[in-house]
Amino acid sequence: MSREVGHAGFISRIAINVGAGYVPGMNAVIMGAALAAGKLGWEIFGIRDGFDGLLHPERYPDGGLVPLSPQLVENLDPAAGGILGQAVRVDPFQVRQVNQDGMVEEVDLSDDLLARLKAEKIDALISVVGNRGLSIFYKLHRKGLNTVCIPRSIENDIAATAVSFGFNTALSFTIEMLDRVRQAAQSARKIGVVEVLGAQAGWLALQAGIAVCADAVLIPEIPCDLHMLAARLKEKISPRRPYGLVVVAEGAKFVDSPQALADKPSVNPLKASLSPLATGDASDHVIQRSGQAAETVATRLQLLIAEETYPLVLGPWVRGGAPTAVDRQLGLGYGAGAIRAVRAGKYGMMMAFVPPDIKFVPLAEAINKIRTVPANSEFMQIARSLGICLGREL
Amino acid sequence: MKNQPINPSDIKGTVLNIQRYCSHDGPGIRTTVFLKGCSLRCKWCGNPESIAPKPELSYDPKKCTGKKCGLCLKSPFPVGAFYFVEGDDDKVRVNWDLAMDVDEALAALCPTGALEMFGKKMTVNEVLDEVEKDASFYRNTGGGMTLSGGEIMLQPDFSAALLKEAHNRGFNTAIETACNAPWSFLEKVLPHVDTMLHDHKLTISERHKKWTGVGNERILANFKKAYETFPEIDFIARTPLIPGVNADEEHIRAVLAFIRPHKNVIDYELLPYHRFGLGKYESLGVVYELDDYKTPSADLVAHLQAIIDEAFGRSGQKNSK
Repeated sequence: MSREVGHAGFISRIAINVGAGYVPGMNAVIMGAALAAGKLGWEIFGIRDGFDGLLHPERYPDGGLVPLSPQLVENLDPAAGGILGQAVRVDPFQVRQVNQDGMVEEVDLSDDLLARLKAEKIDALISVVGNRGLSIFYKLHRKGLNTVCIPRSIENDIAATAVSFGFNTALSFTIEMLDRVRQAAQSARKIGVVEVLGAQAGWLALQAGIAVCADAVLIPEIPCDLHMLAARLKEKISPRRPYGLVVVAEGAKFVDSPQALADKPSVNPLKASLSPLATGDASDHVIQRSGQAAETVATRLQLLIAEETYPLVLGPWVRGGAPTAVDRQLGLGYGAGAIRAVRAGKYGMMMAFVPPDIKFVPLAEAINKIRTVPANSEFMQIARSLGICLGREL
Repeated sequence: MKNQPINPSDIKGTVLNIQRYCSHDGPGIRTTVFLKGCSLRCKWCGNPESIAPKPELSYDPKKCTGKKCGLCLKSPFPVGAFYFVEGDDDKVRVNWDLAMDVDEALAALCPTGALEMFGKKMTVNEVLDEVEKDASFYRNTGGGMTLSGGEIMLQPDFSAALLKEAHNRGFNTAIETACNAPWSFLEKVLPHVDTMLHDHKLTISERHKKWTGVGNERILANFKKAYETFPEIDFIARTPLIPGVNADEEHIRAVLAFIRPHKNVIDYELLPYHRFGLGKYESLGVVYELDDYKTPSADLVAHLQAIIDEAFGRSGQKNSK
């Protein structure tokens, strides 16, 4: 595909698709992009199920491309599930298929994809993707695809943007659920240990934990000393306050001694991006490893202090539901902003919210980085000021 | 120039590993040759490095010396394929999507061996020369060479040539296969096989497709045709027992109903699911899809084994592997 189309005067048809992994409010992004494109007189099409609508049109009797007319998008419910659907995986470099010998294999269909986009006269593609999707679109961009990415992440771990689309909804739901757990813990006179999403970055656990004034928040960035945590909980729990609430990010780490801490990396060295062979149904990955962190903390605490604990896992629940006001605005803003990027010929870019602006940043600056919670972050200081134990004295 | 016929000993295949002193992959002490490439995608797979047919990159962070070296961050390595995370440990991270094109020559540049390739091309003779090193063990124990995978039927000519040459050298031969291949592939391989260990993974085709990627109609047809066409082969059926997937009485009884009419199916073994492959997934950067599954309980395995023992007319319990 030629990049010569990257001028306002030459754009006539663009497309939008959604990467694997659902976050609430996809329709808001689609609306934002479609309404802004319509104002410029561009045609915009949605590709069904990632790239499947283009690569496997035979699966779609009504067409793999959905014309997103202003009339259609004006009636979209921003609170409903995404109109375009999602694929199990969105990686044209490793498409799993069954070959003519009936054997399963992965094949590179990236050239086919670019050819199909060209045949459909699509001048540019806007994609709503997570961390791994950014690398795949970076590769596609280097092969000639005119692409603008919109970051979506429940964990808010995408670098170069202050907020990824989907995070605020997850945060709001997590806070609501933590409030309920606290009431249950109070009534049962136990310590509720709640695991929330956050394999590599603890934003969700930390911000939700602050909002409900949890007793402790354990995040991947600070390996936890469970003996110290137990001692702190013991101090807090009394006959007048016979319960506790601990929020644990799923990627929380634990140390037994300062030496062990020094020997271990604080970020899983192999999970900063996932492999091309990371395949399977989306649900396989949504529930992967869930529950292990909460189980570990609840069991160990119960052995260390004379209190009963119970683990709960919020994990995949936060991926559903209606988007919050913030995510609706962000989705619409990102969608409309992506059209501005296309109009300006800014390809190979990711939309980024850098308060108070929505900007474009090169994909090369967003990949290979994880937005973790810095040690000196304001949120950490707030948590400590509120007396929330962060798992280790610093 | 006229094409010369290829000498069977010169046929090349992609070999993952050659493992000596094996005792569970056929009779006696054996050398197991693992071939690369599989035609199924079982979610519980314990050998993820055997799935892709081509040699592929692996990374062992324990061997990485990090910023002291930093060689893989520069050309000729692909841009963005390797990187450091700021303010963290001193290990390189791999962006597996961008590192896909790293080949053997590039990986060999890593001075500490943190980057290496799973799998290499070998000729039939090169493999057999390695296998021959333990010839005395085979003679004394009735052992020999076992071909395993991956799926050995993915390389039918290479597999057939390996097995034929093993026979020529006087070694007993065994294969491990799921038989998800055209019959024409099996026809090349089976004439050179003494023992065939074969997997009955799931009974219902729709569920087989869900958990392995394809239905089981052709697989079952291949099993039946193999039993009938090659009566001289000792067939041993196997089931990898995965709780929540196939570790149930119904599946075991269905397999027994399928195999018992064939007298050359001499045994049915249960392979309780384990998680030994987990570290290998991390080395490849592959998501392990069955992470939340537990191993089957000893009681369940004993119960299912008793059903098999009864069907084979064995008194007492046979130890499962």
